[in-house]
Amino acid sequence: MKLLKLLSVLALGTAIALPSTAMAAEKIKIGVSYPTPTHAWAAGMNWHAEQAEIRLEALYPDIDLILVNSSNPSDQASAIEDLVSVNKIDALVILPIESEPLTQPVANVKKSGVLITVVDRGLSRTGIEDIYVAGNNPELGIISAKYMMSRLSSGDNIVILRGIPTTIDNERFDAFMAEIEGSGINVLDQKHANWNRDDGFEVMQDFLSRFPDIDAVWAQDDDIAIGVVAALKQAGRDGDGMFVVGGAGMKETIKGIIDGNTLVPIDVLYPPSMIATAMDVTVAAFKSNGPVAGRYILGATLITQENAASFYFPDSPF
Amino acid sequence: MSVAEKTDAYILAAERVSKSFGEVAVLFSVSFELRKGEVHALIGENGAGKSTLMKILSGLHTATSGTIKLDGEEIVLPPYGQSESLGIVLIHQELNLAEQMTVEENIFLGREDTSKGFLNRKTMIAKVQEYLDILGLDISPNDRIRDLSIAQKQMVEIVKAMSRDARVLIMDEPTAVLTEAETELFFKQVERLKQSGVAIIFSSHKLSEVKKIADRVTIMRDGQWIATKKTEDLTLDAMAQLMVGRELSKLYPPKNEVDVDAEIVLEVKNLNADSIDNISFKLKKGEILGFSGLVGSGRTAVFEAICGLLRIESGEVYLNGKPSQFTSVAQARDAGLVYLTKDRKENGLLLTQKMQPNLTLLALPKFVKNMTIDKRAEKIAMARGVRRFDIRARDPNVIVGDMSGGNQQKLLLAKIMESNPKIVIIDEPTRGIDVGTKQQIYNFIAALAADGMSVVVISSEMPEIIGICHRVAVMYRGKITGVLNGTEINESEIVRYAAGLREIQQNG
Amino acid sequence: MVEDNVNVAESRAVHKWLRKFDLKTMGPAIALIILCIIGYSLNTAFLSDGNITNLLTRSAFIGIIAVGATFVITAGGIDLSVGSMAAVISGLMIMIMNNALETFGTGITTVLIGCGCSIILGVGAGWVNGFLTTKGKIEAFIVTLGTMGIYRSLVTYFADGGTLSLDFDLRDTYGPIYYGSFLGLPIPVWVFIAVSILGWILLNRTLFGRYCTAIGSNESVAKYSAINVDRIKTYTYIIQGLCVAMATIIYVPRLGSASASTGVLWELEAIAAVIIGGTVLKGGYGRIVGTILGALILTTIGNILNFTDLISNYLNGTMQGLIIIVAVWLQRADWKKGSNK
Repeated sequence: MKLLKLLSVLALGTAIALPSTAMAAEKIKIGVSYPTPTHAWAAGMNWHAEQAEIRLEALYPDIDLILVNSSNPSDQASAIEDLVSVNKIDALVILPIESEPLTQPVANVKKSGVLITVVDRGLSRTGIEDIYVAGNNPELGIISAKYMMSRLSSGDNIVILRGIPTTIDNERFDAFMAEIEGSGINVLDQKHANWNRDDGFEVMQDFLSRFPDIDAVWAQDDDIAIGVVAALKQAGRDGDGMFVVGGAGMKETIKGIIDGNTLVPIDVLYPPSMIATAMDVTVAAFKSNGPVAGRYILGATLITQENAASFYFPDSPF
Repeated sequence: MSVAEKTDAYILAAERVSKSFGEVAVLFSVSFELRKGEVHALIGENGAGKSTLMKILSGLHTATSGTIKLDGEEIVLPPYGQSESLGIVLIHQELNLAEQMTVEENIFLGREDTSKGFLNRKTMIAKVQEYLDILGLDISPNDRIRDLSIAQKQMVEIVKAMSRDARVLIMDEPTAVLTEAETELFFKQVERLKQSGVAIIFSSHKLSEVKKIADRVTIMRDGQWIATKKTEDLTLDAMAQLMVGRELSKLYPPKNEVDVDAEIVLEVKNLNADSIDNISFKLKKGEILGFSGLVGSGRTAVFEAICGLLRIESGEVYLNGKPSQFTSVAQARDAGLVYLTKDRKENGLLLTQKMQPNLTLLALPKFVKNMTIDKRAEKIAMARGVRRFDIRARDPNVIVGDMSGGNQQKLLLAKIMESNPKIVIIDEPTRGIDVGTKQQIYNFIAALAADGMSVVVISSEMPEIIGICHRVAVMYRGKITGVLNGTEINESEIVRYAAGLREIQQNG
Repeated sequence: MVEDNVNVAESRAVHKWLRKFDLKTMGPAIALIILCIIGYSLNTAFLSDGNITNLLTRSAFIGIIAVGATFVITAGGIDLSVGSMAAVISGLMIMIMNNALETFGTGITTVLIGCGCSIILGVGAGWVNGFLTTKGKIEAFIVTLGTMGIYRSLVTYFADGGTLSLDFDLRDTYGPIYYGSFLGLPIPVWVFIAVSILGWILLNRTLFGRYCTAIGSNESVAKYSAINVDRIKTYTYIIQGLCVAMATIIYVPRLGSASASTGVLWELEAIAAVIIGGTVLKGGYGRIVGTILGALILTTIGNILNFTDLISNYLNGTMQGLIIIVAVWLQRADWKKGSNK
């Protein structure tokens, strides 16, 4: 199965490579650059980008979307240079792997007259991008905190499992802490679990050995939450109204919410589909008769059993 | 020997120095003087304390008691080779060169000529070239060390010493690994250095060389000073006797004639492999067959091919009449054929391990009982090996790399014999070991043959080939040019065949 | 002179004392005991049954892989691919079991098929590494750096960049391999103990172990001593692959999933465990007991850091790095005074 798929991908690759040099010049070319899908969220993003490419190219025959992924900032910088010099793109949609090192390369692309759409992670200088599409990290922290406060009362204990130490993690965490301040909820401790199931499992195991009384867990991320749930079940502490709040919108988690899972009753959206939104907006900049440039901040929606169905993509890897 | 007389003539002197490592004393109140511009040989058996004395004289070791005088002044030599700044340079037995770097880079290593942080390569290369010219050496400053022969590497060490303005050059067995031609060349350099006023101390096991090149000789035994004499006052026998402390009338054991009807245990017909050409010979039971010839004439390659270490291109090998082409050492071993390498540090022994795992390594399958290694049997074998081959180690747990060359060679011999072979090939049996141990090894070889084992001895030392072998095959450029018998086995005959001046068409 | 003698006598006494407490072999054990004391003083729950069990179970993955790595390193090789190998074997195992489900149901058969395939894959992957280093004559570092990348990207590909999940019904059958216990000890710990004992016997009591040491000390001497160097080296990689497969078999039932982030940096943790344990990185000397202690030390460090909020989260790596360096320094420093050459 997989081998067949691999072969067909290879065949497709060579098939595309040949005519690409002789591509018709009048098409509008849009480069889309984002990180290599090495974890589930990015894989979801990759899936949504591919879906959007198929959909948009079918809708507008004169639009050519070129998807490129890179595994580190310097590769990404080279990749966007190639998009400009080799593919002669008219617009660039980019999710920068890191803000600082990509600011200048993107500014250079901008100088050559290309329309710039930045997704998720802002550049470190303002005014470069024409369009900005992003999830809302502080909002994710705030929504999670509000949900916690709605279920817990003063004196209740929670533990926090954080992501990889980065700006994204800090924004979520700081907003969360600011929101629960004064509520009387005790944060027993917080440790980094690196948006990873194994780390989530081990950190939670240690929290459980250390703290006999935990009322809720903020896992911040659905992958971490999976590890946390396994640890809770192993220790037999998954009853008594204990609950876990993750984040992002993994399909398994959303499926669980639809089915009425009480241990992970809600999720807070940080949608990998934002790349598709950004591609739509960028195409609209060429096709729409209204103004398009500006900032699009996607809400960190609280997903509950009522609205979960509309966020469920069973075909996406995430 | 009075220490006080003519002190001013001595450039470097040790007075009653002793040295012990922990509880083990290795040097007992030894005195030694080096005159300006003399070549002074230091001889003695392995473990006599020559290396230790040399290291004390160059500051690498500090004496436990006693004093060192430089130019008549008492001095404490600085450690870690810093006495090079005083003009005292020690060249180690294991050469200290960076293999991947060039001659020029090695010579200036650590004191590169720079300006504004950049290397003055041209100046340095020119200087090195100058030294190379003085010594008449045919190498370029840009050659990489790894591409040089051992002799050339030694020369580079000497150039390095010269470039440091050495007044005293101390060399630990400089000729041990040199061929005769290389030794000649080396002596020429020594002569030139001496002429330029450098005083030289060197140790050697080759007494004939000592006789040839040294002005004076100091003999040591068991960490004690025995004598210091002018070379012309000593015969080779006298030197050997002083070293060993006993009569060495017979270095070589008497030869037992091989039974004429003895069966042929190994027969090689038209063997071809990399660097050997159409080799044929026979080996009888109980025979000691010598293989002589110049270094690089293919002697080692013949037996590496037979023992499965080198691919055979064509030809036949018969072991006890059965065709036997081995593709691995294990097959050869199982058939009773073993090869004792000439390179015991590279190919022979695990220098970082203890004696026991080394001893049993070749014959290890023999020691397996219930899928595991029978450590008791190993221990018994170790005791047997130590007894049989007179291996003298301070401590049974000593790391092999810390043992003397002679003891290492005995251990290697014991290791090979653990596999109970029928045929043993011994390549350079006495390289870098002292006279006393040499004699022992010759006796072992003779005893093995007398027990019905067949032995092949490959050697560059003509006296030992002549002294112990029943027959001698001589090789020249990958071919056997002659096989000598009885009275034909003498130096001039061997040299003629080895130089390719004569060749016998042999037919197996 | 007299004073000197006193000093010599004193240093001899110290020397003898140090010899008794040979830090070179006792070092890892002492380090582990010190860590446990620190852990207990920070929080008494550190020595609770639950935490000790967690610690041992967690050590099992790295520990089992490190036992394999001890052979590879002792024989003078290195295997950087173990983390990726664990990920790709986990992934394939999950896919195979999910597929076998349709034919064989959710019973033990399917799990056994998965485990069998895991072992075959581990042996195969190890053989590839061994073959390329010996017959291909490529440095082990390069070969396994290559396979590391290949395996890592393969698991990403099989999972479409996301996560491969084991069927939920199968988890109930397979789960006890991780969560179950026997005589009070979790199954993974038993597996760890079994692998360790077998590893110790293999390295210290058999022909194969002796040959590994010989090859690591000097390949050329080994060759001249009738040892089939290529074959023994290949076996070390196969053993490594087998250990990875064993670790994978107990890893998969834990969370029932595999992704590109599975087993990231396990190779470095395994190598660190081996070196902390006293095995020489360039080969020729290996210690299985040390390796096991090394693995326990590494897990204990992580565990202790989770038990305290005294140290900033951001400095976790610093603490781990420091402890690894100190542990190795304790063994390497020349404690035996007076033996200066």
